[in-house]
Amino acid sequence: MSEDAKASGKACDPFEPFREVRDAYLNTLSKAMIDAVNSEDYAEATGAMLDGYLTATKPFREALEKNMLQALAQLSLPSRQEVAALAERFTNIEMRLDDMDAKLDEIVKRLAEGRKAKPEAGSRSGEAGSPAPAGADQPKAATAAGQTRRRAPTPAAKPRR
Amino acid sequence: MAEAATLRDQMSACEERFSTLSRVMTTKADIAQTPKDLVWALNKAKLYRYQPVIDVRRRCRVPLLLVFAVMNRPSILDLRPGNSFVEFMVGRGYDVFLLDWGCPGIEDKLLKFDDYALEYLPRAIRRMKTISGSEEFSMLGWCIGAIITTIYAAMLPDEGLRNLLLLTAPLDFSNRAGLTFAKWVDEKYFDVDKVLAAFGNMPGEMIDYGARALKPVDNYVASYCKLWDNLDDPRVVEAWHAMNTWVTDNIPMAGATYRQLIVDLYRHNLLMKGEWVIGGRVVDLRKLRANLLTVIAQGDHITPPCQSEAILAKVGSVDKELYRIPGGHIGIMAGSNAHKTTWPHIDAWLGARSRSMPE
Repeated sequence: MSEDAKASGKACDPFEPFREVRDAYLNTLSKAMIDAVNSEDYAEATGAMLDGYLTATKPFREALEKNMLQALAQLSLPSRQEVAALAERFTNIEMRLDDMDAKLDEIVKRLAEGRKAKPEAGSRSGEAGSPAPAGADQPKAATAAGQTRRRAPTPAAKPRR
Repeated sequence: MAEAATLRDQMSACEERFSTLSRVMTTKADIAQTPKDLVWALNKAKLYRYQPVIDVRRRCRVPLLLVFAVMNRPSILDLRPGNSFVEFMVGRGYDVFLLDWGCPGIEDKLLKFDDYALEYLPRAIRRMKTISGSEEFSMLGWCIGAIITTIYAAMLPDEGLRNLLLLTAPLDFSNRAGLTFAKWVDEKYFDVDKVLAAFGNMPGEMIDYGARALKPVDNYVASYCKLWDNLDDPRVVEAWHAMNTWVTDNIPMAGATYRQLIVDLYRHNLLMKGEWVIGGRVVDLRKLRANLLTVIAQGDHITPPCQSEAILAKVGSVDKELYRIPGGHIGIMAGSNAHKTTWPHIDAWLGARSRSMPE
């Protein structure tokens, strides 16, 4: 496309003549709408709409869920709750692995420190086999993250027969 | 003849504009492109480390952990090349880590702030310390991420947190008249338990609607008018495309976390009252001793300035600063002026407190 055409691109914009009017209108409307949504009336109206929707759809949701559970049981397939409970258990296992990983890191770190300390101690005292520092074989208590507060698996996690 | 050529050129220009409009409205922009490595994962949460671009001798030894909100993607911190906070900080020599909370599934509906702040975050930090080799670290929390990082900083003050940056942090809910959200979620009108019983988690679309409805004309009309007016300007178009890609990528918020946000914070302001119990203990802000920078967006309609001001008087930090900046909730970090205002200030503040390591 030529430069002239690029420059004239705006000319074919059907909104060009109305832009200033449009912006002024939007500005006014914006302020009015911000005031409107910031009112108690708007909060009450949207709350009522949401409540109405949830109340109206509840029987359908419950019926659908009940029928779906029955259908899945007939087909020996797990329900959504059971899959969710399984996922929760996986997360708990992941957390335990993470704790163990942290403890292993700590052990490796302590061992490395111990190895480093031994030659230094030996060169100072002339005793090559000086004992490791107290607690060197004890992994330091895990940091705050290691104190896992695990959620109990939900009842749906029980294996089905 | 010349008139025909002009008309043809105009038609061609018009066609090109509609083609651009169609592309940005129907496709996703390439965002979050700064090279990074996955270094830790737990459930949906992932910790990334950005690949350094600065020589190791000139690099900052105190790592920086970025923590964004739980109901949006953190890609806003790394929006697009040339306009990315992450890219800027990596370029300035910081060892940058990003915690991505991921998209909660129905199995995560019981996740609470307790879990995010005292289970996930400390584990991610532990991994970050191991990788970086530094026992000290800095942390930046933005929006709901600022709530999580504040809880962590107050409840685990001896875990090496040296610098805490809070961006547009919704911590104080006492000024109910100034908070539109507080009106909407008032217990007179909004039954949070009924919503969560129906959906499990708070759907991302509802959260998005809530955020957009605060300024409905700006978000639903004016934003598209701005795009239309600038369809010939590639810089504006690409910026709009990237932002729209992020804005429309909504994720749900874990049900129990949402309930805490509404009941404990919006309705009862428990954090500021010093009565918020997390992990069985009260969150005592006086125990937050890290160096603190609170960044407030003066034009923020999602987290008005009044929500972020009171924290400074409550914390035990000696070194603390409140930095006000013109702009909106997202614009201060991802807007076109962020690289001239917010980012350099964060770099200067953080650099002065991170370059030297204690003996």
